[in-house]
Amino acid sequence: ILVKIHILVPTAASSGVKGEGDPTREGICYFYPEETPLDRQELLCGQLAGVGRCVSELSLSPVRVLQLRRNKFAIRMKDDFFWALGCSMDVPIVSVCELLDQLIDLFTFYNGSIRQSYQLNSQEALAARWAQYLSHLQSGSSELHHIFSCLRTIDSTNVDPLLLLKAALILQACQRCPLVLAGCILFRGRVVSTQMFPELTMKVMVHESETYTKAPRSNGQSSSSPSGGAVSSTTVFLTLSELQYLQSAPVDKDFRYSHSTPHKDTVPPRKTRLSRTLSDMASTESEPSDPGSPPSPQKVSFSPDSTFSPVPSQSLEPPFSNGKHSHEAEEEALEESYYHSFHSNGGGGGGGGGDTSVFEEDSPLNGGRGDAACGTVFDFRESRSGNEESRDDEVQEEACRGGGVCGSTGDPLPPSPPPLPRSGALGDPEESPLVPMTLYMHRVKGLVLALLVELHFLSDTAATEEVYHSSLASLNGLEAHLRTISPGPPGPPGPYFFSHFDCIQSTLTTNLSGGPGGAPERPFVRATSLLHSHFCNTETLQEAIIRSAGAAVYGTRSVAQETFFQQHGASLRNSGIPNHQDSAFSLPSKARHRLLKHGVNLL
Amino acid sequence: MWSGWSKTGTTVKQDRSCVSVVQMKCLLIASESAEVLFHWTDPEFQQNIQEQYGASQEEGQGLPAFEDSISTLFAPIIISCSTMVDRLGDNYTSFTTENNHIYVLHQFDECLYIAVNGDGEEGEDDLRRKIYVMKKMIEVMFGMVTLSSNLLRKELRPQDTDQRARLWKHLQSLLETYSHLRENDQSFLVEAVERLIHPTLCEQCIEFLERRLVQQLNSSVERAGEEVLHAFILVHTKLLAFYSSRNASTLPTSDLLALIIMAQNMYPSNVDLEDSGPEDVESTSGSGPESFYTPEPSPTDRDSSSSDKPVRGSTPVFEFVDPDIQMAEDSLRTLEVPPPDPSTPRRVFLEVSLKEGLYPMMPHSMYCLPLWPGITLVLLTKIPTTAVAMSVYTFLEAFANLEKRLSQGQEGSAATRGPPTIHDIRSKLDKFIKALGPSEIQSAQLQNVWTEFKNRAFTRGGPGFNKHLIPWCKHMKTQLCGIYRQCFLIDSGPADIPRRLSPSLQERAQTMVQEKLMDWKDFLLVKSKRNITMVSYLEDFPGLIHFICVDRSTGQMIAPSLNITERTTSELGKGPVARFIKSKVWNLVSTTRRYLQKGYSTVTLRDGDFYFCYFLWFENETGYKLEAGDIPILPDDSAPIGMLAWDYYRKLLRYYSKNHQGEVVKCYELLTVHLGVIPTEIILQHCRQLASKLWEPSRNPLL
Repeated sequence: ILVKIHILVPTAASSGVKGEGDPTREGICYFYPEETPLDRQELLCGQLAGVGRCVSELSLSPVRVLQLRRNKFAIRMKDDFFWALGCSMDVPIVSVCELLDQLIDLFTFYNGSIRQSYQLNSQEALAARWAQYLSHLQSGSSELHHIFSCLRTIDSTNVDPLLLLKAALILQACQRCPLVLAGCILFRGRVVSTQMFPELTMKVMVHESETYTKAPRSNGQSSSSPSGGAVSSTTVFLTLSELQYLQSAPVDKDFRYSHSTPHKDTVPPRKTRLSRTLSDMASTESEPSDPGSPPSPQKVSFSPDSTFSPVPSQSLEPPFSNGKHSHEAEEEALEESYYHSFHSNGGGGGGGGGDTSVFEEDSPLNGGRGDAACGTVFDFRESRSGNEESRDDEVQEEACRGGGVCGSTGDPLPPSPPPLPRSGALGDPEESPLVPMTLYMHRVKGLVLALLVELHFLSDTAATEEVYHSSLASLNGLEAHLRTISPGPPGPPGPYFFSHFDCIQSTLTTNLSGGPGGAPERPFVRATSLLHSHFCNTETLQEAIIRSAGAAVYGTRSVAQETFFQQHGASLRNSGIPNHQDSAFSLPSKARHRLLKHGVNLL
Repeated sequence: MWSGWSKTGTTVKQDRSCVSVVQMKCLLIASESAEVLFHWTDPEFQQNIQEQYGASQEEGQGLPAFEDSISTLFAPIIISCSTMVDRLGDNYTSFTTENNHIYVLHQFDECLYIAVNGDGEEGEDDLRRKIYVMKKMIEVMFGMVTLSSNLLRKELRPQDTDQRARLWKHLQSLLETYSHLRENDQSFLVEAVERLIHPTLCEQCIEFLERRLVQQLNSSVERAGEEVLHAFILVHTKLLAFYSSRNASTLPTSDLLALIIMAQNMYPSNVDLEDSGPEDVESTSGSGPESFYTPEPSPTDRDSSSSDKPVRGSTPVFEFVDPDIQMAEDSLRTLEVPPPDPSTPRRVFLEVSLKEGLYPMMPHSMYCLPLWPGITLVLLTKIPTTAVAMSVYTFLEAFANLEKRLSQGQEGSAATRGPPTIHDIRSKLDKFIKALGPSEIQSAQLQNVWTEFKNRAFTRGGPGFNKHLIPWCKHMKTQLCGIYRQCFLIDSGPADIPRRLSPSLQERAQTMVQEKLMDWKDFLLVKSKRNITMVSYLEDFPGLIHFICVDRSTGQMIAPSLNITERTTSELGKGPVARFIKSKVWNLVSTTRRYLQKGYSTVTLRDGDFYFCYFLWFENETGYKLEAGDIPILPDDSAPIGMLAWDYYRKLLRYYSKNHQGEVVKCYELLTVHLGVIPTEIILQHCRQLASKLWEPSRNPLL
């Protein structure tokens, strides 16, 4: 188990635990593992909290880390509560702290202010929740996932890029409803596409995994949706900064009525990307099917999407489709290629009927999307990347402003999104008020559409029905496709290990099996963990090669990514003396070369 | 990007909370009962403590009051430490707060060391190193007394407050001298000795020390039974010449470095003060120049823990002290301590390796004779009673082994295995005690405990060797340490019988060397600052900015001088640039140590505009490069990697040599700093050239 001990103790002010003599027992809100004898719980809590308080007083600042010889504890002292999360020694301390912050943020996200929750609910009920969040954070991920605290995504190498595009389109379609802030699509506990920043996506995923395994939770109010059980919702709490960030992100609806601009030609999407990511990969791979021809500059964009009622405040009439445009041809070409790739994937069997319906259903959506404001090519990229990156949004926003044609809609965009504090700093619930929102979930078997919506979304029958109906068919189709994708043979792992962490999307690509007992992987994971900590602590560090007797590992990073690479069997006899012919020093070029086929571009 | 923002977010938060406290450093030694055995704090820390605690007190200025408040504030931590050890078998190693204050804790026997930093200049590793260095200095000063927590506690915390104040002041000043050297001197950064590179002069000096000086001293009747084993000349911290007499064992690098710290503490190099820019002055004044430049109190005072001991050497002997030094010290001294008698040697405890085995902490006398400001002659002598120390050590080891086996549950003959067996010890100890009898050493207590031990262990039908004997092993150890203390820490002999080289003999030695070096004096002082310079390397190694090469088998290092002061311009430019490079080099050393600790012997880093390389490799005597082997992976809180406080490299060499039996294995390290624009292949070629050239027996022509 990764997490050895987790403690939550209210400190003196709230619970009456005062000096050393007072029993800590009643003060312990939650202790993991729960079967730990009370004496031991008490001892640990008493000592850690006591020392924590003492050090905090000496330094006039809360304690963050307590290290022991055999354990390390990340500590949070906030709102009269004391948290300690203990991990074994080989997890880097950066990661332990991040994990604890995540845990606390998760609790706040689903339960609101911690102090209030403890006033309103029984300790047992809340303990169950802590346990649930903990187990979620620990579940089934590899050690590498813990080192990077990253999102689990679907394995993009097996998924047709167009499916990712499809998912992104579904989300954008939902966003046309003004009550919908942002959403994400998850499949069997993994992210397919998301519009939210990673920390928020991570929080949403907890609820998903829970509804996946259990019946809807007690605090989740079943909605009056047309479909009954498939749709659920629960109240969640966003911090003000999170909310601002979501609201500031330009969404699709802002572009619907604007003209396409010549801008699109001058914005080579490639260069705007800082990282190569899952979604990026999709775009590269679909490029051949993308004619890449400059779309006609005169084209007026429009929204033929009649399933959505236009937002009242919008003053422009939705223009009608006036004949076929080049981009529509593209659209078709794309769809064709999609068919091809799908069928060539050999998944045709059962889902055939569903497929066509998906496409019929999707066409208007797609069309509408394709016609969107800032030019087809650009928009395509944007939609492919699933709107999940702030960077994309910013670029798009800039592009719009540059063109001077967007923003004719009702709500002007703020100049730039407010900086989003790290998850750790996010929830300071007593300082920044929490804003209740609704997390809407629509499940189609293993697939879930999760949307963050305004509270009154549920009472707005028209809106709910629209979102439900507009996405239902697409979701069904997407689910059918994703389901039929066999995990596929993992393929020969290759004579090397690599891991590629996208810091922006918080995603990890790796060829490590990640299973337990991966003895040959150990040196690589160890080196990765060390180098990651080093990268975190030294902002100017760009690349590093480190070699022990057993393994030489190369690490490189940019603002957007960290990549680690180890060649197998390269531990030729060497003396450790500087030698430019040493295989260790050819790692950078090998990594550049080898990782290209994994979509990792280190140039 | 998310994580990027978030980091700024946290930093901002931290900054806000640390407005009130900018700098805070502290080192504390406490007993298990939370009694303060030693503390050193910088003014900021002291102020902070007083604000928090002293505010409520009437008179918070006096030493006892401050000591009280510091012990009250740290008490919960200290008590929690022992609770954790007792009940969970684990202990704290470090704390970090949100404003980046770092606390490092380490327990040696019953003494808990806590080091604190609040200005971000020292990391966890640095603090841990500081703790280990402090422990090393205490070992050099108190020898085997440190093996008995009980005795050490009394030694570190004399009842008499004046005495305590003097001792602590002395330790504080040693600690400050060390910190200053570690922050400014490359040889203390990598913990290896730097030699002055001037082969002819070095050779001449060594010859002089051997043929003239040591011979003359050892044949003099004024040496009072002492025998000069080692003699060396220091120019600031650099070694000009080192000579060991034939029957002396090698002086380990660890001890030599500790002695250099002591010598520096006695006769601080004023270079730092003379040449430093305004910032440097400020930084030293931050740690209190008055204490930094305080000369050591008389060792006779330090050594006395029995108050009835006559204070000798209260009349200063100034004849051979350079007036300049004396003046500088006088002007800086704040403590009203009687000036030290410079002819009184310092008792130091050093490791001796003989054919019979390794004897740690054997008593020596150290004579530190200043030749000119910055140039010092150091003599190390063996004292006549060394044999007693060796016996005590043998006995201590035997009882410690027995105790260990007994506590592992072994009984009877399994517990008494040798060598030496407890039965061997029995007769030796009997003789030893008998021999002590007529001397002035009080051995009655030892006699009693030993009799009781024998009754329990050897009597037929008695309890024999089982776990009930463990406390008696402890008692025996304490008693033996007590004997050792009486012999070597207290001058119990009649005050008028000198136990040292006579002052006139010392003076003669000093004059001899002064005459020898008179013409070289100024050259040496300049040379010590520009031992080797990067200029000589620029042509052959374009793009190379700096390097450090260390021979870990001999504990020596070579590196171009890094002059960071405003007045001296090096090829790295003046002040800020050189300081920047210096900070990079310092960081590189600590980074590579972290990787070495985890088993990585090669590290290259591209950091900003620089490219850093680190290599560690092994060679045999003929220079043949040996295959890289496994390097042990150590836990995070392991002893610091270096040679001063804990000789990592000696252990590494031993570990590596296991697979190279019958071969002499040597270990080298090379660190380089290059401009980042230089292609990697070229950088690696440079490294290779440097690695092979620097230690060529014919000496690098570039030097």
